[in-house]
Amino acid sequence: MFKLKTLVAATAISLGMSATAMAAGTVTFGVQAPITGQYANEGQGIEKAVKLLAKQLNDKGGLLGKTVKVVSCDDEGKATQGALCARNLSNQNVFAVIGTYTSGAAGAAQPIYARANILQTSDGTAEQLTQHGYKLFFRNAPPNSAEAKFTGEYLVKGKHYKRIAVLSDHSSFSKGLGDAVDEAVKKEGGNVVFRGYINAGSQDYRSVLTTVKSKNPDVIYFSGYYSDGGLLRSQEKDLDINADFVGGDANQNVKFAQIAGQAATGTVIVNVPAPENLPYKEAKDFLADYKSMYGELPPSIFTLTNADGMRAIVKAVEATKSFDPNKVADYLHNLRNFPGITGPMGFDKHGERLGSAFQAFEIQPDGSYKTVYPTH
Amino acid sequence: MEIFFQQLANGLTVGSIYALIALGYTMVYGILKLINFAHGDLAVLGAFIGLTVITSLTGAGAAPSHWVVILAFVVAVLVVAIAGVLLELTAYRPLRHAHRLSAVVSALGASMLLENGIMLIWSPQTLTFPEGILPSTNYVIGGVVLNSTQILIVAISFLLMLALYLYVNKTRFGTAIRASAIDQDAARLMGINVNRVIVSVFILGPALGAIGGLFIGIYYRQAVFDMGWIYGLNAFIAAIIGGIGNIPGAMLGGLLLGLFNSLAGGYISSTWQEAITFALLILILLVRPTGILGERVAEKV
Repeated sequence: MFKLKTLVAATAISLGMSATAMAAGTVTFGVQAPITGQYANEGQGIEKAVKLLAKQLNDKGGLLGKTVKVVSCDDEGKATQGALCARNLSNQNVFAVIGTYTSGAAGAAQPIYARANILQTSDGTAEQLTQHGYKLFFRNAPPNSAEAKFTGEYLVKGKHYKRIAVLSDHSSFSKGLGDAVDEAVKKEGGNVVFRGYINAGSQDYRSVLTTVKSKNPDVIYFSGYYSDGGLLRSQEKDLDINADFVGGDANQNVKFAQIAGQAATGTVIVNVPAPENLPYKEAKDFLADYKSMYGELPPSIFTLTNADGMRAIVKAVEATKSFDPNKVADYLHNLRNFPGITGPMGFDKHGERLGSAFQAFEIQPDGSYKTVYPTH
Repeated sequence: MEIFFQQLANGLTVGSIYALIALGYTMVYGILKLINFAHGDLAVLGAFIGLTVITSLTGAGAAPSHWVVILAFVVAVLVVAIAGVLLELTAYRPLRHAHRLSAVVSALGASMLLENGIMLIWSPQTLTFPEGILPSTNYVIGGVVLNSTQILIVAISFLLMLALYLYVNKTRFGTAIRASAIDQDAARLMGINVNRVIVSVFILGPALGAIGGLFIGIYYRQAVFDMGWIYGLNAFIAAIIGGIGNIPGAMLGGLLLGLFNSLAGGYISSTWQEAITFALLILILLVRPTGILGERVAEKV
């Protein structure tokens, strides 16, 4: 009898969940992020940022009077786990999902959130994420194409490199960015002497670097992630290759310099500005709050673009006074010049982020970044 | 040609690390006919313990002194050898006479326990090793760049393998190890304490594995809790290529695997590097099912 009662109660709750969730005065934000595994650093940053924003909202009386609750799911940066997380979070009736970090996991989760009518904002930079026509998806970081265009210009017009080698790993993000840079360099009239791949996480890249060396490049561009980028740079020096090293945005992480060691000095990374170099008031405030709550700075800019994704959704909810995902999405598609932590932002009708300035930073001997391009 | 020799040098370094780890698989298999799937994780445990010793005794940013490095190796070897013995006592000995599959499942469980234990103790993030643990100077010989860390790793690995070979083949206890590998019951009748032999194998294998793991950390300057899987797999393949159960076979298999990996990555495709390696494994097993040196049963341990 007792069991039957519980069952009836459970059914009642699950049937009336969406209605009761509203009435009960809580709104749930999901975090889908690689909390363990290779990109644990980034995933934990995203989770911390969302929890901080939720706390700030709750301290001010919640969102439209509702308490903000955060539930997390660890996708380990993998597509298969991403799909599992999407089902898991959908079943918990989340209103919006912040994350995830890798394009593969974000892409796998997209159709599931779309079917469940859940807002999703990710920093995944693979081009196709905004090309599926999912109305509730918003990319909070600039896509590969914007970065590739800038990188091509920097390599060919800014530095006048004559022999460019392009390396990627096999993730959809890295391959997409590498291909786009390859194309952008050629469009600028540059010369790509080598286009190759590494197997991310395999740690030994000396064999491919030896092949690169035989092509005698004056720069190696790597479109993958920091853990491999740092190793590539240190092994490049071990093999006495004198080419400069330029890394794509996912190389911007304090671990890059730790892994590359002394070889990190002089390495250039193309990205939107580092958290501590952001000139905006919103950034300074957020970093101060983050530091006082966690005793450390966010691991990378992607913590902040995801925070901006959540802030934009919150802004849209407040402006439309509604938790209807479609109304919120309509508002976001017309958002312009919203004061983001990572600069003024908005979204176009495909959910693509508007407004971002890429820069090229050089790693200094003390590990800090110095902007070297554009020079103004 | 320079490129070829460069790839040889690259492959030799990784290969000697694979060989060190492969020895642990092959020695345990030789005596117990058991694949110790937790062996890769024991090697990684060595890397983490060595790193902890080095970072706790050295200030941030400074290069560790020789004594700290030696101490790191000694502590890593001791702790991992103890872990190996505990593993044998708790996970394998109670199943000695059980069905073969039970021991395999127990081995896989031990592997997960170690991997997750490492994650809980040292965090799921990638840890970085400081620079300058082993001297790192580039020597250019005929266009081939040799790094002193590489040279040291290869030299120490070869010395250790030679020492193990001599120990197993020239000493009294080594004879007992070989005898137990051939026939445990007969060895017992000859007065050999087979349990002691088994414990010794679970000291020697993990100890060499710990050194291999610490080499990986020093060479690539990073350690992740789950890297035991891929290094364990590679070392396991190395043991099979050489003929599992055969000590010189594990050494040969490790070196061949490293060289082949490097040449395949350099000359064929870095994308297909690992696929090509597995194809090689299948090919060798088709031609020689017992591995390259596998049939010399008299020497197997």
